[in-house]
Amino acid sequence: MAVIEARGLGKVYGGKPAVTDLTFDVQPGSVTGFLGPNGAGKSTTMRLMLGLDHGAGTTTFDGKPFNSLQKPMRHVGALLEAKPFHPTRKARNHLRMVASANDISMSRVDEVLEQLGLTAVAKKKPKTFSMGMGQRLGLAAALLGDPHTLILDEPANGLDPQGIQWMRNLLKGLAGQGRSVFVSSHLLSEMALMADQLVVIGRGKLLASGPIEDFVKTSRRNSVTVRSPKATELAELLRRDGVEVTGTEPGTLSVVGMDARTIGDVAFDGSIRVHELSNRVATLEEAFLEATEGAQEFEAHEITGQPGTGEQA
Amino acid sequence: MTAALKYEWMRIRTIRSTWWLTTIAFLFGTALAFLVSWGISESFKTENAPPAADLKVLAPMIVSHFSGDGAPFFLPYILAMLGVFAWGHEYRHGMIRATLTALPSRNNAWVAKYLVVGVWVVLVILATLLVSALMGWMWLRDDGIDFATYEVGATIVKATTYSLLFTWVATALTSILRHQGAALVLMLLWPLAIENIITLILQVAPGLEDLAPATRFLPYNAGQRILSVRDATGSLFGDPLTPWAGFIVFGAFAAALMAASLLLFQKRDA
Repeated sequence: MAVIEARGLGKVYGGKPAVTDLTFDVQPGSVTGFLGPNGAGKSTTMRLMLGLDHGAGTTTFDGKPFNSLQKPMRHVGALLEAKPFHPTRKARNHLRMVASANDISMSRVDEVLEQLGLTAVAKKKPKTFSMGMGQRLGLAAALLGDPHTLILDEPANGLDPQGIQWMRNLLKGLAGQGRSVFVSSHLLSEMALMADQLVVIGRGKLLASGPIEDFVKTSRRNSVTVRSPKATELAELLRRDGVEVTGTEPGTLSVVGMDARTIGDVAFDGSIRVHELSNRVATLEEAFLEATEGAQEFEAHEITGQPGTGEQA
Repeated sequence: MTAALKYEWMRIRTIRSTWWLTTIAFLFGTALAFLVSWGISESFKTENAPPAADLKVLAPMIVSHFSGDGAPFFLPYILAMLGVFAWGHEYRHGMIRATLTALPSRNNAWVAKYLVVGVWVVLVILATLLVSALMGWMWLRDDGIDFATYEVGATIVKATTYSLLFTWVATALTSILRHQGAALVLMLLWPLAIENIITLILQVAPGLEDLAPATRFLPYNAGQRILSVRDATGSLFGDPLTPWAGFIVFGAFAAALMAASLLLFQKRDA
């Protein structure tokens, strides 16, 4: 099973860097989520990895660049577009065409159609397909060669909740078979359920990579909630240790930078009664927003003013 | 290379436009030959029979749908759309990235497109012109018009060559522009309007008359000369151009566009 090794990936559009010196690994047997705000360079990175865009750096799949792979679909399956097929070429014919370039049998085409739940529409034109069905057909093409590596750009786009759950189970199942799955998505809650590893980028630069738990642990949104009748005194004691303490409501503190056990000890040493001591774990979304703060390519501003008046504050 | 050819062969066969363009070209060409042959056959029964001097070139004229006498040869206009769609669909429907993840060798993917489209066009043109000759023979065999001649064979070869080059030019233009609509418009406007307008301006604009003879080197004007049945003698690049000169000019034009298309395809991001 393949290790993907991306080294020093870079791409410049019109003098503006889109991806800068991006280095990361994708390990077999895992789903690696690829996160970044809009315009961060996720799609560009995936195209660079597959030799579709010209730029700096190298990506190897078990030591070989994509362009040197014989029958590449048997090694790497890719889904980079929402609907990468002609709208009037029948679904089965689309897969037959892709299969023909990689010596993939017609029986495998039918097998994948069945696996992806597309048998009933195999002889239909994709122009009649919903976004979700289109994604399934794109994914079917990626899976045709039974590849050990999958590179998927926003595969959950347009899927309904059932479809998203199906996609999650499928990708986790494929990773469970020892394959490397590298997948970008905007659905952070979904990524939290699906990914084992993360690569996070902002403005084309690597912000974090590694196990998802480690990434979430780095968030300053991880805190300990403390309720005490002497909250003010406890806060003073904790601040002496350089800990960030904020009062969320009377008698309640939110403590960042110290674990619950140590806080309990500090309270005990100060003879302060504690009514509640609970950990609050940051969500992936919170950790992501914190990591990518200021790394957004396009930033929206709050809409203010009265509706219908044309007034803006 | 085999993988790229298999992919292209499957691609061209599994899209409906291939079949309706092929059908239209075949029916248009053979129906035209049928009607013209029937009309000429009828004219032999009247006082408006073709002059004796024209009888020798009548068979190649019918087979080439009178393009040998300067009329536009419409079959390549129809079939060149196959070349336009070969690249146009890739970019219009976002398929190019899927294609290049199945076929990472850009050179092979590029060559396969030109080869497969070219072979398809050649086969359709040959079938259409041979059936056109059959139509002419059916109506005119009793009027002394022979279709089993060197001239008819040469006309079929010339018309096939012109159609192939015409198709490859349209294919290359689409690859360069990466826009199906723009390529289709250019494919029609350039030969049917732009070159004629340039020729007209040079003929009527004061002081530019001396440049008018140079318009024979405009690519489509030159290409049309490949089909010429008359004026086939004279100096190679004289006025008008000989069929060989037309082939050299139009062939060089096609080769230049194809080279530009390949270079850009290798250099650009997919």
